[in-house]
Amino acid sequence: MTGAKRYSPINILYDLWKLIKNTFFLALLFIIKQGTNSAFIKYGRIAFLLFWVISIVYIILKWFTHKYKLDDTSFHIYSGIFNKSNRTVPFSKVQNINRRTSVFHRIFRVTSIRFETGMRGDDAAVEFEVISRGEADRLEQHLKASVRDAREVSEVRDEVRDEIRAEAELGETAYEEMSGNAPPARRIHFRPTRRDTLKASFTSFSFFLLIPLTLSIYSKINDIFHVENEAKGALNSIANSWWVITGIAILLLIACIAFGVIRTFMKYGKYEISSDDDSIYITKGVIDETAFKIAKNRVQAIEITQSIMKRIFGLAEVKLISAGNTDSERDKLEMNSLYPFLPAPRAYEMISELLPTYEVTQEMTALPKVSFWVRLFRPSWTWIIATAALAYFKPVIWGISQAWWLISVILLLLIVVCRILAYFNTRYSINQQFVQFRLGSLTTTLFISKRDKIIEVKVKRSFYQKWLGLATVETVNRAKSVHHTEMKDVPNGLAVTFYQWYLGRREDIIVE
Amino acid sequence: MDSEIGMPQGRLSKDAVKVWIFKETISSLIMLMILGVLLYFDYSYAWREWIGWIIIVLTIISVLFSIWSIFIEPFLLYKNWRYDVNAEFLQLKSGAINEVHQLVPMTKIQSVETNQGPFLRKYGLYSISVKTMGSSHSIPALPKDVAIKLRNQIAHYAKIKEVEQ
Repeated sequence: MTGAKRYSPINILYDLWKLIKNTFFLALLFIIKQGTNSAFIKYGRIAFLLFWVISIVYIILKWFTHKYKLDDTSFHIYSGIFNKSNRTVPFSKVQNINRRTSVFHRIFRVTSIRFETGMRGDDAAVEFEVISRGEADRLEQHLKASVRDAREVSEVRDEVRDEIRAEAELGETAYEEMSGNAPPARRIHFRPTRRDTLKASFTSFSFFLLIPLTLSIYSKINDIFHVENEAKGALNSIANSWWVITGIAILLLIACIAFGVIRTFMKYGKYEISSDDDSIYITKGVIDETAFKIAKNRVQAIEITQSIMKRIFGLAEVKLISAGNTDSERDKLEMNSLYPFLPAPRAYEMISELLPTYEVTQEMTALPKVSFWVRLFRPSWTWIIATAALAYFKPVIWGISQAWWLISVILLLLIVVCRILAYFNTRYSINQQFVQFRLGSLTTTLFISKRDKIIEVKVKRSFYQKWLGLATVETVNRAKSVHHTEMKDVPNGLAVTFYQWYLGRREDIIVE
Repeated sequence: MDSEIGMPQGRLSKDAVKVWIFKETISSLIMLMILGVLLYFDYSYAWREWIGWIIIVLTIISVLFSIWSIFIEPFLLYKNWRYDVNAEFLQLKSGAINEVHQLVPMTKIQSVETNQGPFLRKYGLYSISVKTMGSSHSIPALPKDVAIKLRNQIAHYAKIKEVEQ
């Protein structure tokens, strides 16, 4: 693979489409207000046109100047129109691969692909916004093959145990099968049934999402058309008849539920979790298709999260913590999450299927009684500050002049209930090379990681913890930046075990 | 618990106490000067009454804080700071009232540097700061030769990288 390549020419169309999408409402403003001759509109229109012309020129130039190249070890990205830049990203730094096919991509039968590295900053990922499907597959294969070659070379050099080599050879034949255009040998672990999705749409409360969505569309429209003023008369007449209101309320409710169900079906309807020997694949979405691929050895930790609703329905969400997770706009799709509404027993089963090197220990230890009292009586800054503010302002709410201390008491009760729940939910276990923490009050999170994936540990003891024989332990894992997990008020003995357990890390790692 | 964990043995330079006292004295003096100027303005321009009260309260707090940070804290800090370096881990322990133990694998250290500010320079001391992927740790106030030796040692150990498996 020599010679730098241009990106697909459909990139130009894609950028134009984005430009139109982003400036649509602004354009509408200038077109609709054609009659007015105010200076703002006049100069605004000129500025807007100028902006458009420059943007289009930039988009075209961008296509001519931006190029990419792959060699045996890295991506080379050439970019910049005036200031040229040449970025090299080694394949070995790629943490996971993300594919997204939106409606736009569907129309042109293309896709987009992101290779995410664990680095911070804007350049953290190698992204192809528009790429033909064949080329995307080719890149993915090339990357996989190169990484494997590199691994093999180093293995031979270091004369690592035979079994690993055997395993790699096995993988190699699997790869050859794949490059011969045969369907990859993947095992499918989960596909939601219609019932799963229906259950999901009710537990996620996604039907309430219609409200903010409507409001945001309304406010955008209102900016232009001033609906509010024009509709005032109409609204008044509607408000006068109660049956119209009830009717509207029922209609809204039905719309909300329908919206929620449809939205969940769109998002989670076509969902598939599969894996082969060294990677996990998640594909989802009916219209906007996304595919996510992570190498098994890149999984830094696992988190199993259950909200109250999910606990009632016996569902759980499994998250794979990896160093390449982006927190950009598009990643509200939570690409690191396996299906968020997995039946709980299936979730645990799947972890051992997907990641055979992980073990979930079911038996975990609860905190000692003394931790209960420590947690209960630890001063709550939220409550102190809130109460101080309430006592100072003494707001009158719904005509109740005593509201301030009522709110303070309610808040205190809530905090106490949460703390009691948190105490009973908290569990820990350290087992060979695994550590497990369960935390949380209303939403519980079970955190599982391996010793070699933890990059740092901390043991803290405040003066009262020392006095009561307690300690706080903390682990740090790689994630996008880092992921801290803290467990408060564990017995001293556990803290010592934990510290020593981590000192034994040398047994799990192989140094180059 | 310290004995059970196998507490690190390395200690800071004894001059660290002097450095901290010196530093804290100067910063307290600056703080008090600012408060003094404010009090003077308050008096001569007849600011509102409550502003005067706030300044007085702040002054009392900062005097108490100064006493703590000049006469007590440096000794406690010195007494409780421990560090240790071996081929596998950097161990840090600090804090008298709230105690913190940290364990950083050498293979995860990305950079190490020695620093010297004006206060440390006066006593010929250096501080060492170690950066990992997500955090940064520092060992304050070590004698020059110890600091440089330690820096080189950490740099040597940190060169070894583990296989990401």
